Amino acid sequence: MTWNEKHRPICFIDIKGQQLAVEKIKAFTKNFGLEKKAVILYGPPGTGKTTLAHVAALETNAEIFELNASDLRNKEKLENILKPAIQQKSLTKKKKIILIDEVDGLSVSDWGSISTLIYLISITTYPVIITANNIWGKKFADLRKKCELIQIKEIDYRTIKEILISILKKENLFISNDILTSIAIKVKGDVRAAINDLQTISNFKEVQPSFFDERNKEIDIFNALRLIFKNKATTELLNVFDSVNLSLDEILLWIEENIPAEYKGEELAKAYEYLSKADIFKGRIYKQQYWRFLVYENILLSYGIAAAKKSAKTGFTSYKKPERILKIWMHNQAHAKKKSIAQKYSKLVHVGEKRAMAEFSIIKQIVKSNSEIQKQLKLNEEELAYLNN
Amino acid sequence: MISGIWTEKYRPQVFSDLVGQDDIVKRVSSLVGSFNIPHLLFAGPAGTGKSTMALIIVKELYGTKWTENYLELNASDERGINVVREKVKTFARTKALGNVPFKVIFLDEADALTPEAQQALRRTMENYSATCRFILSCNYSSKIIDPIQSRCAIFRFKLLEKKDIEKRLKVIAESEKLTINPEGVATIYEASEGDCRKAINIVQATASISPSINPELVTTIIASAKPRDIKIVLDYALAGDFQQARNKLLDVMLKESVAGQDVIKAIQKEIWNLQVEPDIKMKLIEKTGETEFRIVEGADTFIQLQSLLASFVLAGQGK
Repeated sequence: MTWNEKHRPICFIDIKGQQLAVEKIKAFTKNFGLEKKAVILYGPPGTGKTTLAHVAALETNAEIFELNASDLRNKEKLENILKPAIQQKSLTKKKKIILIDEVDGLSVSDWGSISTLIYLISITTYPVIITANNIWGKKFADLRKKCELIQIKEIDYRTIKEILISILKKENLFISNDILTSIAIKVKGDVRAAINDLQTISNFKEVQPSFFDERNKEIDIFNALRLIFKNKATTELLNVFDSVNLSLDEILLWIEENIPAEYKGEELAKAYEYLSKADIFKGRIYKQQYWRFLVYENILLSYGIAAAKKSAKTGFTSYKKPERILKIWMHNQAHAKKKSIAQKYSKLVHVGEKRAMAEFSIIKQIVKSNSEIQKQLKLNEEELAYLNN
Repeated sequence: MISGIWTEKYRPQVFSDLVGQDDIVKRVSSLVGSFNIPHLLFAGPAGTGKSTMALIIVKELYGTKWTENYLELNASDERGINVVREKVKTFARTKALGNVPFKVIFLDEADALTPEAQQALRRTMENYSATCRFILSCNYSSKIIDPIQSRCAIFRFKLLEKKDIEKRLKVIAESEKLTINPEGVATIYEASEGDCRKAINIVQATASISPSINPELVTTIIASAKPRDIKIVLDYALAGDFQQARNKLLDVMLKESVAGQDVIKAIQKEIWNLQVEPDIKMKLIEKTGETEFRIVEGADTFIQLQSLLASFVLAGQGK
């Protein structure tokens, strides 16, 4: 049996580091029927969402009816499984909690089942608990309205350490403080990962703090952004991009995209000032091929962006991928037609291409409605399509 | 007429058609009458008749054979002075056809060339002076190096007045059966800023919607003008909606192909219209200058402009 199962909390007081969420879920089960019929527990992996649902069932003496994303794949299946469950009285006449785990595991083609899910929530006679990592996508907009949202935060490394120590006590084992700290920090808020690491490490007699390499999560950049945007500036932040699998230039774009999601007013201005200076150093690196400037680019982007804020920030922010490059690319695709039309036009009327581009909106109006001119310019079909778009 | 584009269709074909440049017409036509012209430098704003004058000159000189004796280049579109030199070389190698002992090369927007490139151009002009005459056109003659200026006869084209543009519009309106009321003419003239080509383009664009042209119609056609969009960007920023401001900015820059420096120019003008204290205005001016400096130095235009917008968010809060 894995330690994760063996030491899974069985009552609310065993759940560490999620007091607010615990209170909310207590209120939800207690007052069921008065307000919303479903809750969404959302937060990063390994922070105790599923555990919290199970504990809620145990504490209220209810049995749990569990579904996961694969059961949601298609509408019919969902309705066949879930509809009887939400209406039928439980065989043992016990109370019941419906758990829908990892709803964001749905792929694009399964979106249709979300509307079915929303309908089923509206007719359910039992409380529904839904878990998800990220609930902020557009596809969940309607679902969010029907549910109470409860945030499950990443767990503080000190709390993770406490959990690890309590497990070691029960297992009657000892592992050095350094190693525990090192595990607790490296898992970046993921308790499940911490307990897995602890169990693995307990099999060895001698271990070094650096026994495990950090998990290379796909969300590394998101973590890095969270560290920079949420925390106060500390020198540890200087290494924050080391584990990120992106170049500093790409990271710069990520930061550019997400500054306004996090900072307002003076913080915003300051953050952009540091960003713009980082960008200047980036330019100098390329121009002068002087790579030591990378040091400054890195400091401005990590410590600098963090230092732009007055105090640490809380709450979950869903960071976006940089969109600018994509927008420019998409525009250039369209732009290519504009340019080729301007080129043909400028040849015909003795005017520079650049001027034709600058006055394109008026020229477009002229060319668009005149097939004779279109023939003169020898516009091809793609260019004509661009005009009429 | 060969062209459905009115700037071509109604391009003056003879000296007497040209409006607003009577003095230049007199001098140039007498030069052309002698069948011997020096190098010429036409300086003046866009749409005042520089290219047209060059075309009239070659038509007067060569008649129907003008296309074989005339090379038109645009300095800002050609990739560097070497491309210009190559084209000149190829063109100048063969002798002129007909009675006139030289060919004509028209180099538009010559002030787009760097001083170094202009030095190279000077040598080219000298090398081919036996077989070629150059007509250079530029917006500002001060941007043309002295040695070139001294080798050319200089003609300064004036900005067209309202009556000049009105005259051309009348010709077009009659021939195309349009009605343009006096207010319409005034609106077109204002929007054209004395640029005849632009005025004619506006008329044709408007006429593509309706043959009866009034100020409202003209305004809708030119509504996509850029300064207004920049104002919207700033309004969002001042109201504290940074996200909208930045999205709109990217939109304007991409869709309207507005260059970073033009955005800066528009922003700088707009600062004076803001309802903020003088010291905040000065802060914004300073930041604007710094932003322009950074862009010129080669930084990422959009990042630098976002940083500037963030200052406007602060200004909107009176900081």
